[in-house]
Amino acid sequence: MGLLHASILNVLPSVELKAVCDKSSVILRFSRKIFGGVNVVNDVEKFSGLDLDAVYITTPIFSHLIVTKNVYLNGIAPNVFVEKTLASSYDEAEELCNLAQSFGNINMVGYMKRFAVTFRKAKELLDQDTLGEPISFEAYAYSSDFFGNKKSSKGSSYRGGVLRDSGCHLVDLALWFFGDLRVDSAKLESLTEGHSEDSAYFRVKRSNALVGEFNVSWCKENYRLPEFCLLIKGSKGIMRVNDDKLELNLDIGKSFRWYRHDLNDNVRFWLGAPEYFREDEYFVRSVLEGHRAEPSFHTASKVDYIIDQVKHRAGRNE
Amino acid sequence: MNNETKKLLLVGDNPFHGISHLSQERARVRGNTMTYPKYAADLVITSLENGANGLMFSVSELTLSILRIIRRMGGSKRLRLYAIVPYAYEYVRLGVQIGMPGLAKKFMKQIVVSRNVRAIAMGLKGVVTVDPVAILKTYLIYEISRIKSSAGKQANLESVLLHEAITDMALAYNLDWLFKSYVGFMLDLGIKPGFNTRNFTHLLNKFREWNIDLRETIIATPFNKVGFQMNPSKTDCEKALANITESNIIAISILAAGYLKPLEAVNYIKGLPNIRGVAVGVSKEQHARATFKLLKEKLER
Repeated sequence: MGLLHASILNVLPSVELKAVCDKSSVILRFSRKIFGGVNVVNDVEKFSGLDLDAVYITTPIFSHLIVTKNVYLNGIAPNVFVEKTLASSYDEAEELCNLAQSFGNINMVGYMKRFAVTFRKAKELLDQDTLGEPISFEAYAYSSDFFGNKKSSKGSSYRGGVLRDSGCHLVDLALWFFGDLRVDSAKLESLTEGHSEDSAYFRVKRSNALVGEFNVSWCKENYRLPEFCLLIKGSKGIMRVNDDKLELNLDIGKSFRWYRHDLNDNVRFWLGAPEYFREDEYFVRSVLEGHRAEPSFHTASKVDYIIDQVKHRAGRNE
Repeated sequence: MNNETKKLLLVGDNPFHGISHLSQERARVRGNTMTYPKYAADLVITSLENGANGLMFSVSELTLSILRIIRRMGGSKRLRLYAIVPYAYEYVRLGVQIGMPGLAKKFMKQIVVSRNVRAIAMGLKGVVTVDPVAILKTYLIYEISRIKSSAGKQANLESVLLHEAITDMALAYNLDWLFKSYVGFMLDLGIKPGFNTRNFTHLLNKFREWNIDLRETIIATPFNKVGFQMNPSKTDCEKALANITESNIIAISILAAGYLKPLEAVNYIKGLPNIRGVAVGVSKEQHARATFKLLKEKLER
């Protein structure tokens, strides 16, 4: 993710890539060859004195707290972008929110699904009350990343388990769409040998009776690319939205379908997916114009809170 | 009409990998049939019988086995091959499962097992001297030898294109030396260097700035009536296309991933200048027959 964000940032006219940090000696040696005039270091503290405006933290989730803390406490940069999830637990996320408030300026977490045109359109329709009062929703995030693996791999633990890896996007979208939610029941499964967290099912509620269900797995067959989908029932109809399309069926007998093609999905520079460019451009604009970026640390900490609740309900307190 | 002037009508391999850029759900509903090498090889042969003259494919175990079947079926004769490397999906998937160091080890092991002496020597040099260009060359030698041994001598490997993930990332970092080394190395091998990109206008601007001769390269990039994946915009891409002097552009995503009907898609492409050819994926025999008949009729006139 670091390479991807750095690539996009390097294309933005108001950004200069000044420094790169990695722990791996091999990557450091190659980075020095590739990034000519850029400072390449093996410790984030060596960013001190470079007068940086912003830092992107794209390290494994378990290190977000320590690295971000370092950036703030050493005055390395006032503006910080952290890849999702903000932290490994709500306690850590809260600590980062406090640090950001005391030492930082603009902060943001990389929930890039918010920048996908289909999910944006869904949010717009919900805000316009097109679907009426939301009654219930079903959400899933499936991938085949570890399908067929019998043993839990380094990769799965490195990514922090399926909830923090892909489930968090769904939770963020649900919070963005519907506001605060609380976990009602939850089940976590390990589909491989060992203690990995490969599949999750949980139910949520909102104070005004909205109920929702989440299904998350990275061991599903035939999901070549991760797929994120929400089926939302409202008082005026049903909406189904995923990365590729949005379908709206209203009770008055009208139906609509929008593909990415219909929603102006072009960007100035395409890498990975158009949403990455929109996300980075938005963060940089927020920094330059000095306005709050969303999802901020505070907003994103609610995802960590829900994940903690899921683990608690499922009896996996860590 | 010789090969240089004849429009390239290439069979694309996305359906064989279970890819649909219109919707992942659609690809899943289609099922696994298309990912069977024999089924895919039959589709390629049918396409060739109906106007296609080549294949554009990502180099993977699947596509290499498709090439082997085509060769056995006698379909390799004068088959024009446009290979895209690396097959990014497979590397990303492996990287996710075994980590980057594990992936690097696995790759080096594959090269050693291949007994390709030139690749082994260059790879060693690349690792010892931390030379990205030497490693790139090692990788290219390895992939080219895999393609040639699968496709046989009758097939013609006309171009090897860098996958968009590599092209566009190198573009973002302004790695002019990487582009130049790649172009020079491929030309020395007698293979046209190609670039797959979703940032066509950006690439053209940089090539001009870096004095990379467009005539020596092939660029594969989306062109379609609805501007799908044409960045920064359809209008900008069309303008850039009109301003080049060489017809070395292969239009991909011409059906906008199935969003457009073939006739409207082809009519749009027909109206564009400097298009060297197209690559279109097909998933059924009837689809292959109808699509390439239409392409041949409309684009070769």
